[in-house]
Amino acid sequence: MTDEQDNTNQPSLDRERLIADAVAAYHDLRLQGEAIDADEYCRDYPELGLELRAQLFALDEIDTVLMPNETPRATPAPELPERLSGYKILGEIGSGGMGRVLLAFDERLGRKVAVKTLSPRYAGNPKLRERFMREARALARLDHPNIVRIYNLGDADEEPHFVMERIEGAPLTEAARRLALTQKIDLMLKVVLTVDFLHQRRMIHRDLKPGNILVGPDLEPKVLDFGLAAQVDDLGERLTQAGEIMGTPDYFSPEQARAAAPLDARSDIFSLGAILYELITGAPPFRGESARDQIRSICEHDPAPPRRINPAIPGELQNICLKALEKDPSQRYQSAREMADDLARLLAGEPVLALPSSYARMIAGKVEQHVRDLDGWRQDRILSEQEFDSFRKLYDRLVDREDAWIMEVRRLSLSQVSLYLGGWLLVTGAALMALFRYFGLSGAAPVVVVSAVTASACYSGVRVWRRGRQRIGVAFLLAFCLLLPILLIIAMNDWGIFSSFTKGRKDLELFHLFPAFKQTTNAQLWWAMLLSLPAYLWLRRFTRSSVFSLVIAAMAALLALLTLLRMGLIEWLGADPGKVYFYLIPIAIFFFAAGLAIERSGHSSDSRYFYPIAVGFTLIALGGVATFHQPYAEWLKSVAPVTRAQVEYLFIFNAMIYLALQYACERVSSPQTRWVAKSFRFFIPGHVMTPLLLLGLTASNLWEQSPADSSLRLEARLFEVLLPFVACLFVFGSVAKQMKNFFVTGLLFLGIGIVRLQRDLFRDRAAWPLALLVIGFLLMLAAANYDSIKRAARRNQR
Amino acid sequence: MEQPTSTYDLLARIEQGDEYAFRALFVKYQKRLALLIHYKLGHEMRRLADVEDVLQETFLEAFRDIKRFRYEKPGGFLSWLSRIADHVIADAARFHGRQKRRAELVRFRSVGTPDGPEPVDSATPSRLLAEKEGLQELIQKLDSLPEDYRRAILLAKVEGLSNAEMAEQLGRSREAAALLLHRAIKRFREIRESDKR
Repeated sequence: MTDEQDNTNQPSLDRERLIADAVAAYHDLRLQGEAIDADEYCRDYPELGLELRAQLFALDEIDTVLMPNETPRATPAPELPERLSGYKILGEIGSGGMGRVLLAFDERLGRKVAVKTLSPRYAGNPKLRERFMREARALARLDHPNIVRIYNLGDADEEPHFVMERIEGAPLTEAARRLALTQKIDLMLKVVLTVDFLHQRRMIHRDLKPGNILVGPDLEPKVLDFGLAAQVDDLGERLTQAGEIMGTPDYFSPEQARAAAPLDARSDIFSLGAILYELITGAPPFRGESARDQIRSICEHDPAPPRRINPAIPGELQNICLKALEKDPSQRYQSAREMADDLARLLAGEPVLALPSSYARMIAGKVEQHVRDLDGWRQDRILSEQEFDSFRKLYDRLVDREDAWIMEVRRLSLSQVSLYLGGWLLVTGAALMALFRYFGLSGAAPVVVVSAVTASACYSGVRVWRRGRQRIGVAFLLAFCLLLPILLIIAMNDWGIFSSFTKGRKDLELFHLFPAFKQTTNAQLWWAMLLSLPAYLWLRRFTRSSVFSLVIAAMAALLALLTLLRMGLIEWLGADPGKVYFYLIPIAIFFFAAGLAIERSGHSSDSRYFYPIAVGFTLIALGGVATFHQPYAEWLKSVAPVTRAQVEYLFIFNAMIYLALQYACERVSSPQTRWVAKSFRFFIPGHVMTPLLLLGLTASNLWEQSPADSSLRLEARLFEVLLPFVACLFVFGSVAKQMKNFFVTGLLFLGIGIVRLQRDLFRDRAAWPLALLVIGFLLMLAAANYDSIKRAARRNQR
Repeated sequence: MEQPTSTYDLLARIEQGDEYAFRALFVKYQKRLALLIHYKLGHEMRRLADVEDVLQETFLEAFRDIKRFRYEKPGGFLSWLSRIADHVIADAARFHGRQKRRAELVRFRSVGTPDGPEPVDSATPSRLLAEKEGLQELIQKLDSLPEDYRRAILLAKVEGLSNAEMAEQLGRSREAAALLLHRAIKRFREIRESDKR
């Protein structure tokens, strides 16, 4: 037996104690009169598995033996009463564990009515009876065309019952079978709106299923039978045996099936999702051999996408359906109204907002396997590193859950454009207040106005985000990101904080250059930026959206530049521009280090914005240093006087630094540093070939001016030969790492080199182009027979 | 499955003078009580007093004193019955020689008194222990358990004690009591498995 195997597999005492405690707790619950089901109870302890179940069954079995053979006829089977509330009882429409629904005739009005009675089994319980009646009264107060109407409540001396509208209709799914898709959506919309009406009145149905939604010939759905399941729940007597009250748990929400948390309106949303699913696909979303299987399926499995069952279902309808069927209530529609809005949008042909998280999971599961395969292929050298990286990047984009709504953000719709335009106007408006003084807005007024705007942007952003509308929320929060430093600047300006000048000199102030503006000091700018950073960090944590990593990285870069400003950037710009670029180098190093540290600590989605900034700073800094930095040029002059301190040499020197950096980054070897290595590699050929060409041109010019100078001639010739030679080197060097830019640059500069050779060495010699033709043709032939030549060469070697 | 409120309901109806309710209550508890009495009697006493006699007597006394019983908690009625059974057994031990009293008590034929009158009602205790599939089998299984295991199952399932009450009775910690019950049931199941094979 399987449970016996379980025993032997898990002999640990801890586990045994766990099971013992669970058994004891179950026993105690039973003693207290809880009608719990062993299966259901076991679900709370999935880790204890079959053994617990077998134990509980053995416990219950003893009960069965000890139970009376003959059920005492203490509660004789109820017969149909003659009349209830004066209505003549005609027959029984249906019965459930809670009671029966009888068909009755209203002789005064000449119409048929339905009478719902409470089973005598429960009628004896005054508490339950009271609740039954209270529920009927609550129901009677609900006046909604899609909710069944209550006509009368039974008197206290009769058996508990209430009289309600008799609905002649079919259960929702049956009625909808012959309807067109739009009619089905329309029907569903009515149901969802009705449930929203209930939720507005603080009632949760808890037992929504097609059988509880009857559709008449006029295609108006009627929701019935609600609240009753809720009462039973409250008494702790959840009767879930098949056919009793709940029937099959097809439409249960995971939290309902697990009976874990107190249920809220979102549980009904899940049931609505399950109903919609069945409505459009013809089958409920979760299937299982037994109720147990089914509940596991509800709690653990993602339903098959409806489009897989019926490709005619629009993708957006599938989105709505799966959004309602999210396992995590916080991922679902937060209210029936939101779901109704989306259904209405679908009917109106507008884009719906729902984007189920299950898509990302679905993709992630498969992609993980693919990436593992790819990694295997890479290790087997079936794929190159580059191919692996590019596939990996594409897959990452698929998996990244944020991308779903980010893609929506990127789609330029009218509302999207207006949203960001509004945000931009907010920011520029605030910026104007930071930059200029206005007569109407003097004193603390700008601070008050901008802080009100900033606070409301933050508040709305957080609120909207929490409601799951990230697309809108992110716009507000981004506006907040820009408004915050502006607000700080305005406030500091107004209160005169950090108003001292850099190094006590007014001419070192950034705004000194713009006398038309309000004179904000460098210190104020710097502090505003620094004080804003924690807010960005918080936003990143709160939203878990990498957009804010970008904001953090960009603002950190800005802060670094402001630091330079406070160190005297403006002075350097005038006196020694090279110094500015020189000081960028430590900043670049800092960003590399930050990127590496963040990536190493497992936040690779945050680090990826630091690297581009680091690369950018490196390129600008080294380029600027090479061009402007006086000490560097002087150093070159002293080391190699023959170079005449030409800038081009320094660029070649930079190219070597990039090469070194490139190797360093490849040694670290993470996808992101590989990207850095690649971007450095990208700049190397240009940094080598262009200076070589320029140096050659300069050398040729010099030589032309004094043709007799043999050293100048040698130099010019050297460069003429060096250019095509290095170009060829690049062409062949591109093979190793599939560096196409090396190949293309090599070809381009080889052409230029050949022309330059023609102009000097081979002027007017026909042999030169002819030789090129022959060499080219031979090379092509050799390449075509590369293998056989190689084999022949090897044979010769032996 | 036990109906949680029914004992309470039945008691309430007895209070209102519903004779039928007492019979239902009697039927509801008879097997449980019979098993309890079986083990209360022990090996020695079982030769002197019939389980079913004690059961009858217990119910008669219970019927007489039912007005004095106050419903406090779900298991309360059974422990009350159990206390009455204790008295009855003590009495039986004192008067075991008095055949007369015994004969007074026996009104229906049973295994212990084959010459009694034919039972009119299937729910009389006479058939309880005679059933192959039911109680008798359970007793056999319980008998083959070690003493402490059997006691744990009896306390939990027959006397209906909670984990805490069991711990108190057994003079162990709650955890130890739970573990004992768990192991007892496990062994109990193993007996069942081996029976099937």
